Amino acid sequence: MSSCGNPDSSEADALMPRRLKYGRSRDCVRCREKPGNIVIRHAVYCRDCFSPLVTLKFRKALQPSINASAGTSKRPRLKADGNLLMAFSGGLGSSLLLDIVHRIYFSNESVLNENEEPVGGKNHPRNADVWPSATVCYVEVCNAFPGMRDSTEELRTVVSQYPCFEYVATRIEDAFDRSWWLRVGGLPSFSQLSVDIGNPTSCDLSIISALFTPAERSPTDCLLAYLSSLPTQTAISTAIQTFIRILTLYTARSRGASHLLLGTSLTSLSISLISSISQGGGYTTREELQEEWTQSGIGSTEIAPTIRIVRPLRDVTMKECAAYARWNNITVVGKQRVPATTQGIHSLTKDFIVGLEKDYPSTVSTIARTCAKLAPKDAPKGSCLLCQRPMQHDIQEWKNRISIRSFGEAKLASDLHTPPNPHNNMPPPPLSSQSIDQTLSLTPHLCYSCHTTLTSRSSRGLKSTGSLPVPLPVWVSPPLLDSARVVNPDEDRGEVFQNRQPMRDAIAEYLLES
Amino acid sequence: MAPASCALCQNAKAILKRPKTGQQICKECFFYVFETEVHHTILEAQLFKPGDKVAIGASGGKDSTVLAYVMKTLNDRYKYGLELFLLSIDEGITGYRDDSLETVKRNQQQYDMPLKILSYDELYGWTMDAIVSRIGKKNNCTFCGVFRRQALDRGASTLNVDHIVTGHNADDIAETVLMNIMRGDIARLGRCTVICTQGEDTIKRSKPFKYAYEKEIVMYAYFKKLDYFSTECIYSPDAYRGHARAFLKDLEAARPSAIIDIIHSGEAFEVKEEIKATQKAQQTCMRCGYMSSNELCKACTLLEGLERGMANSVITDRARRKMDELRPAPDILRTIPQYRSPLPAVSVEVAPQS
Amino acid sequence: MSSDTLTLKVEFGGGLELLFSNKRIRDVTIPAFVPGDSSVPSPESESIQPTSLKQADVTFLLHYLREKHLTDRPELFMEKDTVRPGILVLINDTDWELEGEGDYVLKDKDEIVLISTLHGG
Repeated sequence: MSSCGNPDSSEADALMPRRLKYGRSRDCVRCREKPGNIVIRHAVYCRDCFSPLVTLKFRKALQPSINASAGTSKRPRLKADGNLLMAFSGGLGSSLLLDIVHRIYFSNESVLNENEEPVGGKNHPRNADVWPSATVCYVEVCNAFPGMRDSTEELRTVVSQYPCFEYVATRIEDAFDRSWWLRVGGLPSFSQLSVDIGNPTSCDLSIISALFTPAERSPTDCLLAYLSSLPTQTAISTAIQTFIRILTLYTARSRGASHLLLGTSLTSLSISLISSISQGGGYTTREELQEEWTQSGIGSTEIAPTIRIVRPLRDVTMKECAAYARWNNITVVGKQRVPATTQGIHSLTKDFIVGLEKDYPSTVSTIARTCAKLAPKDAPKGSCLLCQRPMQHDIQEWKNRISIRSFGEAKLASDLHTPPNPHNNMPPPPLSSQSIDQTLSLTPHLCYSCHTTLTSRSSRGLKSTGSLPVPLPVWVSPPLLDSARVVNPDEDRGEVFQNRQPMRDAIAEYLLES
Repeated sequence: MAPASCALCQNAKAILKRPKTGQQICKECFFYVFETEVHHTILEAQLFKPGDKVAIGASGGKDSTVLAYVMKTLNDRYKYGLELFLLSIDEGITGYRDDSLETVKRNQQQYDMPLKILSYDELYGWTMDAIVSRIGKKNNCTFCGVFRRQALDRGASTLNVDHIVTGHNADDIAETVLMNIMRGDIARLGRCTVICTQGEDTIKRSKPFKYAYEKEIVMYAYFKKLDYFSTECIYSPDAYRGHARAFLKDLEAARPSAIIDIIHSGEAFEVKEEIKATQKAQQTCMRCGYMSSNELCKACTLLEGLERGMANSVITDRARRKMDELRPAPDILRTIPQYRSPLPAVSVEVAPQS
Repeated sequence: MSSDTLTLKVEFGGGLELLFSNKRIRDVTIPAFVPGDSSVPSPESESIQPTSLKQADVTFLLHYLREKHLTDRPELFMEKDTVRPGILVLINDTDWELEGEGDYVLKDKDEIVLISTLHGG
């Protein structure tokens, strides 16, 4: 058996060497004085050496992204372009995030580096006033799952430990709340667009346009309608994750944030990477690691600021987070378990990776490191309307080529061989996506992953709500209306809006904010 | 409950549910879509041209048996104009390989194709049985994988074929994508979803079943009553690949499109430019002439290790370099015959190899 | 204090306490010598001598906790004979991987902490 325990240097095709015991000595490898308290990937550390190591990794992952441009100085003064927003869930990673950020950049406490020199605290000139203000954003999801507890106030109490952090609580149903959308600076749309997800035979996702009416469903009802129309458990988990991300981004934008920090540990990061790849999201692997988001496709006249999403804990495993939290007295209230009937892809991936990490501890860092070496192959064709990430060309063409779902395909007609059991007396088969007017379908505006989320079924199919069209999140309608001609079905000759000004004029009296 | 009619032709009764799309369809339509999807894969990638000689890597297992059947069917139906051969490698595993070779011989009769069998014994002087008795079951799959790969190329070269096709299916490719990410094998990750690979000195190698689900291959073989040999190799590898496979199956159960989705992900990314630059360039093995990233190709290195009784120490790069420093004169040890690469398009005066 | 029992302080964290009646810290008393297969002695079986005995180790403690104090979802606590992956175990503030994991022989007044890392954010 090869003697090197590190899988990277082994060329063995099918084997991964099992975890070896820690090195020879039980003493800390750094100070070499005290006995070790924890072993991290074969290296032993005592309590006192362990904590500075974590904060060092934190700073190394965060600080290069703070200044808008790198500049020439080796150790530049840290100054961000805008404010700071941290996403908080109550979980282990984000609890650590809040505490460490506070300690290094907002408190008067001094943080010692590996050489026992003070580097942290506001008093250190390097760390003072990096961000003018800091906000903590929490997205409450309990209304998506009847029976879940509302944690908003519990988390407010946690954040109140850090008086300079402002707490902003949003709710998952805000994704369907027009007043929230206007509050965060989104442009209004005159029409409430809905989509037909329930059709089991086609993946068309045709759009139904309905007039803006006052008697409409509450955001929570819209959210529940959307979630219950999704075809798999995987789709529900992914939809929730996407909504949380978008809600947090818009909140960040509305607070003038230049940086959005997430408490994703190395373990969680690897899980997200594999989960995303398993759902067809390989094109945006880069964005899973580090993303620069600009509010796109809204047609805003102002220059859209860029928000950098950074994960300072991305080199720190879950185990290290737990030990750090314990030894630094950080209270973790925890995230509630989301009720689910079966395991979706994300949950399966979590079990798989956490199980592997136990026997092959370098797995999670290898996954993250490998994915960091990847780039998308082709240039994007705009952004997906649902998740606002870059979108590939020719997605549907690829899908149709890989699986033949109907004999109406033009491609088949060119084959010499005719399909079996031709039904000469019957009407033509159901419409394929090519025969539906492209402007009336959501499909061309979705990335591979989002389209798969909405259309890919499993044998343990979830019950669909029936034939009611399903409302779309508020950020989807404005760019859709912007780019497509949408005919109002309630009028004989619908007004056709081809550019924004007439559209805006038509709705001017409904706008609350100019 | 009335039986549903086929979702595709709306005519016949649906008798199966397609693992890939979940559609309920009849037998004839299943055959048709399965075969036509492979046909589209071949067309889209422009794999062949009329007159090509194509060797089908035949193991006797379901993938290669169905592959031979489908290649023959499509070749006839769409008039590809290909000359098809069956190429089988005998690793020398008693009990396992004997039975599957019988299947391949039967296939030869059934499909009326010429068959060539090449054995590890005649090529390297070592059967897998001998290798395992020397090194145990820890790294045997490394040996087998490397030896088989070269064996296919050599066999194809003696048959003078233009192209090798193997029965790797969608499940295999999805599993490979995941494995390469988990092992950090960035070089392989950049290549594993490419349908047709070709090195400078090797024969083109393609996977027409790249988008075909393993379950559908089994279904196809079952309904078409094709016979194949189905047992796992008795020298099966350890848990790691098994873990990845089990995970993939769980994903498929949660959402059947996962297999195709992973392949799509694999096709969507490539290795960053600055990383590509640091990868090793290809050269040829100084001992046998096969392509290699080092002075000695992998097979020659492994063989030398076996011959010198140091087989396990040549698995890693570092160990191999160490061994290179102690290398004895080549003619003492048994070596692999010179590899004759395919003739270049432009004719050049070349002295015949001995 | 009897010398054939051990008193230990057991603490749960990271959400694991929810499986143990939400009690984070508890004192636990176990026999110093336990069945070799880590089976938990019940009142009826106490009079029957098991075939082999071993000193009480962490593996036994886990079985004991599951048997006597776990109120919900055993599969979230243990898998086969050890803790489910993702649970950090500290023995006297030290990573149990440094102490031999389940084979660590318990001493009187040891403090065992079990933290689940799975409800992270």
